[in-house]
Amino acid sequence: MDPRDVGQWLETNNIRWVKTEGISIDGLVIGKHISREKFESALPLGNAIADLVMGSDLGGTPYLAWWDDWRRDAIGDFHQQPDLNTLVVAPDRSRTANVLCNTVNLNGEPVPACPRSTLQRVVQQLGELGYTAKAAFEIEAMLFSQSPASARACKYRNLTAMGHPSHLGYLHYNSRHQLAYIDAVIERLDALNISVEGWHDEAGPGQFEINLDPADPLTACDHVVRLKQVLREVALEQGHCVTTMAKPNEEYGNGLHVHHSLSRDGEPVFYAADGSSLSETSRHWIGGMMATLPAATSMLCPTINSFRRMVGFAAAPTVASWAEDNKSTALRVLSRAPKSARIENRVAGGDANPYLVLAAVLAGGIAGLRHRIEAPPALHVSGWGLPDGWPHLPTTITKAADAFAHDTMLREVLGESFCSYWENTRRWEWLMFHTTGGDAEATNVTQWELDRYFEIV
Amino acid sequence: MSVDRSGPLRIEVEDDPTPIVLILAATLRRSARQPKLAAAMAKAKGNVAMKSSVDPQAATIRFARGTITVVRGVASDAHVIIEADVNKMADENPPKPKVSGIAGHVRLALLASKVLEPPNAGWRNEATAFFAPTFANPKAPRGVSVTCLNDASTQTFGDPDTIEYEIHGTEHALLNVFCGNTVLGQDLLDGKIRAVGSLPHLAELTGRSIAVMLGA
Repeated sequence: MDPRDVGQWLETNNIRWVKTEGISIDGLVIGKHISREKFESALPLGNAIADLVMGSDLGGTPYLAWWDDWRRDAIGDFHQQPDLNTLVVAPDRSRTANVLCNTVNLNGEPVPACPRSTLQRVVQQLGELGYTAKAAFEIEAMLFSQSPASARACKYRNLTAMGHPSHLGYLHYNSRHQLAYIDAVIERLDALNISVEGWHDEAGPGQFEINLDPADPLTACDHVVRLKQVLREVALEQGHCVTTMAKPNEEYGNGLHVHHSLSRDGEPVFYAADGSSLSETSRHWIGGMMATLPAATSMLCPTINSFRRMVGFAAAPTVASWAEDNKSTALRVLSRAPKSARIENRVAGGDANPYLVLAAVLAGGIAGLRHRIEAPPALHVSGWGLPDGWPHLPTTITKAADAFAHDTMLREVLGESFCSYWENTRRWEWLMFHTTGGDAEATNVTQWELDRYFEIV
Repeated sequence: MSVDRSGPLRIEVEDDPTPIVLILAATLRRSARQPKLAAAMAKAKGNVAMKSSVDPQAATIRFARGTITVVRGVASDAHVIIEADVNKMADENPPKPKVSGIAGHVRLALLASKVLEPPNAGWRNEATAFFAPTFANPKAPRGVSVTCLNDASTQTFGDPDTIEYEIHGTEHALLNVFCGNTVLGQDLLDGKIRAVGSLPHLAELTGRSIAVMLGA
């Protein structure tokens, strides 16, 4: 939308308030409700917001063990620069509009920690190489009959799943339990112009999966963060609670699988009629993603809890691997159909920040193209239960941070400022877990994780 | 498993160590700088567990005649178990830890009590060691002045003409920070020390403080 048209749009839609939606490093939606007049007068820089929103952890503790150059010296303001293409009438509140924002400094320059800007930088680099990408996310979540307040009171344990606790998945009987909720969610998504390809019951307790239609990378991620807001809002209104935490209980976890396709001059890059004779570009793209996968795991599995999901035979990959249509691998290549040739990255947990997930995925591919990295052999066996000696993915937040720290290829694409910040925040999360009540020896989900992640990630 | 050689001793930590494992290993390394303690540690055999009374943090130190290994948790074969309030261990008058297993392992318990509280070199020397690598960091203050409230004495570190950060505290508080017993930023929040300077400098010095605590 042209900034000159904003006033007319707000007038036409009888808007009184604008909800600004910025994205924190952890994928939380942060912002304000500002008057229409203030929204208009603050353009193009956008409303101010305390810079601490980019300098605090999920528990609200300020990061105070390092200082990034882009941070303000004495806690000042950043700005939420609205992306006017995302301005939409709020379907849940009268006279309100929602708009997604980038976090920028006082000069209007993107803050390196802004996940949305980070993805935009990666997409720009992809464009400079002559390629365009499309992406589609699969969002898994678990719905429980208790309200958030009740769930909190029972410490998020022994919650009543909406549906039979079988491990089947795709069970319409279970979908029926969730129908009133999902129908309300989809109605709201329709109003937000978010197109849903389908949804179904999944194998965890109260678990369902919503598949979004493919879109350009930024839009695909915008849709995920808005969808996750809608999931929580509708649950709250219906007296339920929902979580996208990677492993809220000892059953199947929540993933955030992302499919992406690549095209050049309108031609699908990943298409291979026989499913094996991949193009050189495809091989390099896969090679780059494979080479950076241990490091990317830090961004795909960002929390202490993420790694509890990464166990064999539970739908999550455990080794850096790829293959044609093999759901036990980290990268599932689907190359046979020209219109839908794509690669699915199955590593990300439901607690991951979609912008950073896609930034890591695309950055790996870009690194592969730039460095002409040949893909290793495809995995022709099950990726689960493999012995030592196979390229196992990092199994803890610190091991993933170590891999991230040692990687140079992602860093070339993502930038030093972002990477330095990201690594520090992950080591901080480790320190917080161990020194503020997390149990290092727990083999099951700890109370610390439930308190920190269940409702908000 | 990472290994650190401190004289005749090998001090090892488990793979992917927890903070308390790193903290104990760092403490043992400090003790190993004292020849008498190093010699005693080199002869020791037995397992000592350290357990927090206020949260799940725990670790076991395995003394094996010259090789010391620190791992997470209270090992089932721990001979001596020390249970302490980890949040108050650095207080001037910390609550007495609960120690079990002394009866059968008096020497081991005595050794543990000594090596887990290594002697310090005085706040000035400890501060010198603390700041030694700090000034290579361009984000750190170029000069720091530290004032000990016990005798109102002040010492500067780094560039004395460009003091960009001041720390004020009792001798006990200063020693805690510079020895890595506590974290600068937390001590400031708790009012145990006072400081004059910017948040960026506080953050960088706190990062150094955490590194000292973890033996990084």
